[in-house]
Amino acid sequence: MNKISSVLVANRGEIAVRIIRACRELGIQSVLAVSEADRESLPARMADRVVCIGPPPAMESYLNIGAIIMAAVGTGAEAIHPGYGFLAEQPGLPEACERYGIIFIGPKADQIRKMGDKLWARKMAMNLGIPVIPGSQLIGDFSDARVAGEKVGFPVLIKAAAGGGGRGMKIVRQPADLKVVFDEASAEARAAFGDDRLFVERYIPNARHVEVQILGDRFGGMVHLGERDCSLQRRYQKMVEEAPSPAVSPQIRQELCQAALGLTRQIQYENAGTVEFVLDQDEDRFYFLEMNTRIQVEHPVTEMITGIDILQEQIRIAAGHPISFSQEEVRFSGQAIECRITAESPRRGFQPCPGRISQWDAPRGAGIRLDTHCYPGYFVPPYYDSLLAKLIAWGKDRPEALERMNKALEEFKVSGVETSIPFHRSIVRHADYRRAKVNTRWLEESLMRECEEHEKD
Amino acid sequence: MESIDQEDILLILKLLEESKFDDLCLETGNLKLIARKQGKGEIQAEKEFSFEERVSSPAPQRINPEGRNQDLESQVIVPEAKESRRMESPVLLPKDQEGTILIQAPMLGTFYRAPKPGAPPFVEVGQRVTEDDVVCIIEVMKLFNTVKAGVQGQITKILAENGQMVEFQQPLFLIKPTAEERRRPGA
Repeated sequence: MNKISSVLVANRGEIAVRIIRACRELGIQSVLAVSEADRESLPARMADRVVCIGPPPAMESYLNIGAIIMAAVGTGAEAIHPGYGFLAEQPGLPEACERYGIIFIGPKADQIRKMGDKLWARKMAMNLGIPVIPGSQLIGDFSDARVAGEKVGFPVLIKAAAGGGGRGMKIVRQPADLKVVFDEASAEARAAFGDDRLFVERYIPNARHVEVQILGDRFGGMVHLGERDCSLQRRYQKMVEEAPSPAVSPQIRQELCQAALGLTRQIQYENAGTVEFVLDQDEDRFYFLEMNTRIQVEHPVTEMITGIDILQEQIRIAAGHPISFSQEEVRFSGQAIECRITAESPRRGFQPCPGRISQWDAPRGAGIRLDTHCYPGYFVPPYYDSLLAKLIAWGKDRPEALERMNKALEEFKVSGVETSIPFHRSIVRHADYRRAKVNTRWLEESLMRECEEHEKD
Repeated sequence: MESIDQEDILLILKLLEESKFDDLCLETGNLKLIARKQGKGEIQAEKEFSFEERVSSPAPQRINPEGRNQDLESQVIVPEAKESRRMESPVLLPKDQEGTILIQAPMLGTFYRAPKPGAPPFVEVGQRVTEDDVVCIIEVMKLFNTVKAGVQGQITKILAENGQMVEFQQPLFLIKPTAEERRRPGA
């Protein structure tokens, strides 16, 4: 059996810290690849070795496959962990790893490629009898779009085949708007993905975003770790996640997890992955959406309710070990909620606020976990995304988790940069959220409007 | 197209820059040039990097002397510091070696002092070089990037080891510039 003694961490911020911790716990050396902007970062202080791979812009550092491969070769790292974002879902990285005899801690290149093609994935789901949102095959031109729209029923979504994670999709409320939106979507998809293939899907107004965490190994082992609910989104960016979903019945849960396992078994998926679904709350039905072939930002909520360290498991699986537990051994306990604290100003349209953190009083207490790379005096560079920390609260039930989260958000004092903390506080205190009466539109269409009106008073 | 030199590359890049295209991929003989425009949303802080440094190609890579000299007053660096977290960007040296210029790695990769195994090194300590003299090669996944001196002067020290990985901006050579070079502001 293979053993990994050194891992190159090809990421930054809180996930780099998370990966380095997992390495330490497994007795593995960590080598951190940093851009010039991150030489003094917390993960750089924690890693056993630091290698500067390029200047601050991600294109020349964190997205530079050549530099990352050479850094692993030059430092003798046997494996590369890509984290999330950056190169995590670029099949070019695992391919280059293979050429250089480096272990990629993630799925195979062709698994990333297949699941990255949303139409292919959708077709596979249909073949397996897994429900997909009623919609069209590829639409070639506007007249196809009109036919598809009429068949599916307005409002519809026009989606880019190469899109995902909310990118490359547009709502068409009525047939009259179809032409304009179709042309826009086509042009944007070409510009954003170099691929203007589109398809049409029914728009589900009262939806929740629910996803199932999967782990697979090379021996055919495949387990699920239950679902997460990520319905609170702003511009398709998740802001609050929780596990388990308060909107999923035991019956639906069983079906969701089996659907996710069916999909990943079909491609003999290896390592950690997430199968995303849309839950139609009006019809109490779910539909397959897409699969993410990486560790997710929100993985801690699953770790908190299962006690399983997904990062460690990823490394073990990549080293050639079977999953260290069976499906029957997975025990779910309590409720976990995560708030993604960002350096963004809720008062000013969530404008990013890079700068130096002067005060960083992090919350503590029973059931509180904080995944972060920040500290007092840390300079938040303007080059990357604005995530500062993931605040996770666990409770024996949802009310306890909510109360702990509420207290933790009150305790969390940050100055020097503006943060999303006040906005998160208003989410966690809101009666709709407490009663779990929300959907994917609630944050933008109800809460943000209420906040705006409140400010006017 | 017998061979493409740096002048040609710069011309090609200029044409790309002025065009409405975002990417360019050119393959001819044993040369492969991939160039990409920066996205509109990019932050402007990296202006000091010359455009040619964004090019992956086996063509000459020049260290931009303007860029390197910008922060001379504010930066002091010990050239022997191998640890990346101790390294700062540009360059100046302890007082006893005042006026010496540091050549830093323009990219992470494997450092080679000679054009091929067994061949004599591009430069030795004591050797005089002009701006366009190649001082080493940095290999990134089979792409061989030549690095030029960028200044006229005499090599006083070689700081990296042949065949070893060098990091982005790792010190490679010390050059004592000729008098003319030294009179230039900041140098």
